[in-house]
Amino acid sequence: MSEISLVPEAADVPRNVSKVNLLSWISSVDHKQIGIMYIITAIVFLVVGGLEAMLIRLQLAQPNAQVLSPEAYNQIFTMHGTTMIFLMGMPMLIGFGNYLVPLMIGANDMAFPRLNALGLWLVVFGGLVLYYSFIAGGAPDAGWFSYTPLSEPPFSGTGVDYWAISIIVTGIGSIAAGINFIVTVLTMRAPGMTMRRLPLFAWMVFVNSFLIIFALAILNGALVMLEADRLLGARFFHPIVGGSPVLWQHIFWAFGHPEVYILVLPAFGMISEIIPVFSRKPIFGYPFVAASTVAIAFLSMGVWAHHMFAVGMGFGWDVFFGASSSLIAIPTGVKVFNWTATLWGGSLRFTTAMLFAMGFLVEFTIGGITGVQFALVPLDWATTDSYFVVAHFHYVLVGGTIFAVTAGFYYWFPKVTGRMMSERLGKWHFWVNLVGFNMTFFVQHILGLMGMPRRVYTYPDLPGWGLLNQISSIGGLITAVAWLIFIVNLVYSLRNGKPAGDNPWEAWTLEWATTSPPPHYNFDQLPPIRSRRPLWDVAHPENPDWKHDH
Amino acid sequence: MTEKHKLGMLFFLASEVAFFSMLILAYLYFIGAEANGPNAATALDPATTAIFTVALLASSFTLWRAQKSIEHGKQGGLRIWLLATIVLGAIFIGGQGWEWAGLIRDKVTISNSLFGTTFFTLTGFHGLHVISGLIVLLILFILALAGSLNQARAHALATVELYWHFVDVVWIVIFSLLYVWPHL
Amino acid sequence: MFSPNSPQAYSINNLLLLTTIIGGVILLIIGGVVFYSAFRFRSGLRPGEPPQIFGSRNLEFLWTGIPVIVLIVLFGFAVNTMRQIDPAPGQQPPDVIVTGYQWWWRVEYPQAGVVTANEIHIPVGKQILFQLEGGDVIHDFWVPQLGPKRDTIPGSTNYLWLQANTPDVYLGACSEYCGTQHAWMRIRVIAQPQAEFDQWLQQQRAAATPSGSDAMRGAQVFQQNTCVNCHAIQQTGTNWAGPNLGHLGSRQTIGAGVIENTPDNLAAWITNPQRFKPGVKMPGYQLSPADLHALVAYLESLK
Repeated sequence: MSEISLVPEAADVPRNVSKVNLLSWISSVDHKQIGIMYIITAIVFLVVGGLEAMLIRLQLAQPNAQVLSPEAYNQIFTMHGTTMIFLMGMPMLIGFGNYLVPLMIGANDMAFPRLNALGLWLVVFGGLVLYYSFIAGGAPDAGWFSYTPLSEPPFSGTGVDYWAISIIVTGIGSIAAGINFIVTVLTMRAPGMTMRRLPLFAWMVFVNSFLIIFALAILNGALVMLEADRLLGARFFHPIVGGSPVLWQHIFWAFGHPEVYILVLPAFGMISEIIPVFSRKPIFGYPFVAASTVAIAFLSMGVWAHHMFAVGMGFGWDVFFGASSSLIAIPTGVKVFNWTATLWGGSLRFTTAMLFAMGFLVEFTIGGITGVQFALVPLDWATTDSYFVVAHFHYVLVGGTIFAVTAGFYYWFPKVTGRMMSERLGKWHFWVNLVGFNMTFFVQHILGLMGMPRRVYTYPDLPGWGLLNQISSIGGLITAVAWLIFIVNLVYSLRNGKPAGDNPWEAWTLEWATTSPPPHYNFDQLPPIRSRRPLWDVAHPENPDWKHDH
Repeated sequence: MTEKHKLGMLFFLASEVAFFSMLILAYLYFIGAEANGPNAATALDPATTAIFTVALLASSFTLWRAQKSIEHGKQGGLRIWLLATIVLGAIFIGGQGWEWAGLIRDKVTISNSLFGTTFFTLTGFHGLHVISGLIVLLILFILALAGSLNQARAHALATVELYWHFVDVVWIVIFSLLYVWPHL
Repeated sequence: MFSPNSPQAYSINNLLLLTTIIGGVILLIIGGVVFYSAFRFRSGLRPGEPPQIFGSRNLEFLWTGIPVIVLIVLFGFAVNTMRQIDPAPGQQPPDVIVTGYQWWWRVEYPQAGVVTANEIHIPVGKQILFQLEGGDVIHDFWVPQLGPKRDTIPGSTNYLWLQANTPDVYLGACSEYCGTQHAWMRIRVIAQPQAEFDQWLQQQRAAATPSGSDAMRGAQVFQQNTCVNCHAIQQTGTNWAGPNLGHLGSRQTIGAGVIENTPDNLAAWITNPQRFKPGVKMPGYQLSPADLHALVAYLESLK
């Protein structure tokens, strides 16, 4: 422990851990409190974005419905997408990273605690700016990727300005978090915690942070150009005065595709922690899971234009981006196969966390398969911008990210709060959610193939369209019930959950080597770190990992 | 600790590279897109701007001297070199303002040509970075006057120095692309 | 795609089917192992921790290598399909020029000099070359049963080959979000035997003559109101803010597919189009019952 220098900024803050008062949270620079606040922010926006999704499904439950005006519908689907990506997904994953990475590497805090707090509050502030637009003359209504010239005057109102400014602000916050993760992992590791021994979650947050600092900066470049057009009359994306609407798409997706991986890599990390622990086996093929992360990160920077095959870029570009996008299936497949192989020959414990992780394996694979179909250019020409693509990315972002994050929630809740979540309610949550999710989104594949475009506020009464949409809407309602169960579980377990103890799952990484919740400086004492599973080594002196020399 | 702060700044600058790359790419993308109207060759005056460019480059040198002074515990040298850096940076920003005023007088604005759009956005964001740097340098200068910028806090100056050199390098790229290249 | 009806749509469908089958097999493998493990390797079957296995180099090569081969083959098929369904148009003049506007389609037959809107007649069994232009914002032209989709982008031109094998009405829609009424920017492709198509084109080329006294009076109502600011009756090439109404009587729908084209619907539409298509750029007209009746008679007589 003595080798780890304490963080001077953190040391300056007086603190009384047992006393909960608002000011101590707001002024906190402690990575655990900041992590929790990130996650609370994300949950609040999950509820808001979820309610928006309910409105969308309500309006689409039958053909020619008039629950929402087209203007309201367009604002709500724009807000749903923007909220779920920038205010739910990223803060959730950054929050988990904030809480867990220092613990996993045996550090006392992040490298820059005050920068950490700044990042959090920028995200919160950005979220408030976005939602203020509802009061200030209308929310953004140009979709979450704000294609020009639709997102420019005279085609859209001030909502888009709030959208752009909000995302610039949250983007700066995310870049701050990305820098912090990178420097933390590089400089704050405990003695013995070499880069090759990093827990896979910490590794994936680390790799992911490189994507964050590049991709979000690219997005900010695009957004300042958009705002120059909107506020100062510049010409970047105005076709009438010589600008190029396709340039916007190139820059936006140069951010947008890495963003998809930003939203899924840390989730991969969670799966890579949870499946081994509940299979009672080490992760299968650690070096391959770790290296495939780097491969995904690199490739993700060179696939953006697969969002633009319908633009008519020409044969050469279409083939190039189709090929690079297909390639990304290889490292992703390597991960899925390794996780599945980790189950094999194990001793599986079906906790709620494990159920969600196994659900992830199947649901994410479905999203991955349709993903390969989208990389095959002619299929993209047929199915892009239809409900098929809506189904695809919800399988990736809900079936993938949300399932994994939920697994993570059940897995680390005891560490964060010191109490176990109710497994009984958890299992209800899982099964109801599994039914609701698949019911909502599986039929959307079919709707897309039938010719239903995405982002329509209503649709004609064609054979089958009403029925399938109704099934989807009912599925949405069932999903909402599942999440209600989750909220009940959360509130119930916070008050009445069984005491967790230090290591309720008999897990092997360092966050389980301290109390639940951990003390302010995280560790009184660290176990010797001689392998990737220090706590396995402690528990099994007869068969420690470091003897295997992997 | 120095290493930590320097690393943090380096990754921040990596992120900035991505940001400026987009603005530069947008400029390159629209070269030749307009049949008539102003362009870099007709609207910009490389000779005058070269003078301000020299001021900015010189400020990198003076800041490096300031850093050397703090490392050797020379408070006097630190203050003089910091002040020189701030003055040189201010000269550059003044020059840029003067150049902008001239362009706008000649009816080259952000809204009436693609060249104007890309030129003002790119140089504007560079200028904002110089101004941010000047504000931070000013704070350091005040701290130096108060005597609290000592060897123990040398890493603060070292970190700012990285940023300042980066802003310089971005300008060298901009100057080469916008002022020199059209005349080659 | 369901019920494909063109060589393009069949090619796409074959690729879709192939990839769905391969994907299904992969899903079965992953899902199968997950379910099998859940049963076979559940805890409590044996005491203590299971054997600790750290990985297998051979398996890693296997599940990297096999997907690489599968993907190369699939991508080969994909490139082949691209060549088949999207050859460069070369010097060939387009058969139809479609321009996307908020929220309707301008349809022009350049060789015949015919301009119409939203409903596109084509002869069956023939490759039709569409030239796609963007009027205001980006739209996307998509008729699923006939082939791929393609964006219409202001400031640039795209081309698209479509074909219909059998006579029918094929439905399509704008598939790039384009603002308030993106939902009601639908497309109807009416595929006809060549002779029937030629006859239709001939009819469209000639100016329709209103018949009957009601219609004659309706023509005056049309001229006296601001209808003429946005809608053309004659076949002219200039860009008008609204659809050409020269042969409105021969169309199946009003408002780019939002309602059927009947006299009653047309009267209701003229009075308050916002009721059917909120946000549409056409204002409502409060005409006297007699004027409205005459105007509807006039427009419906333009066959």
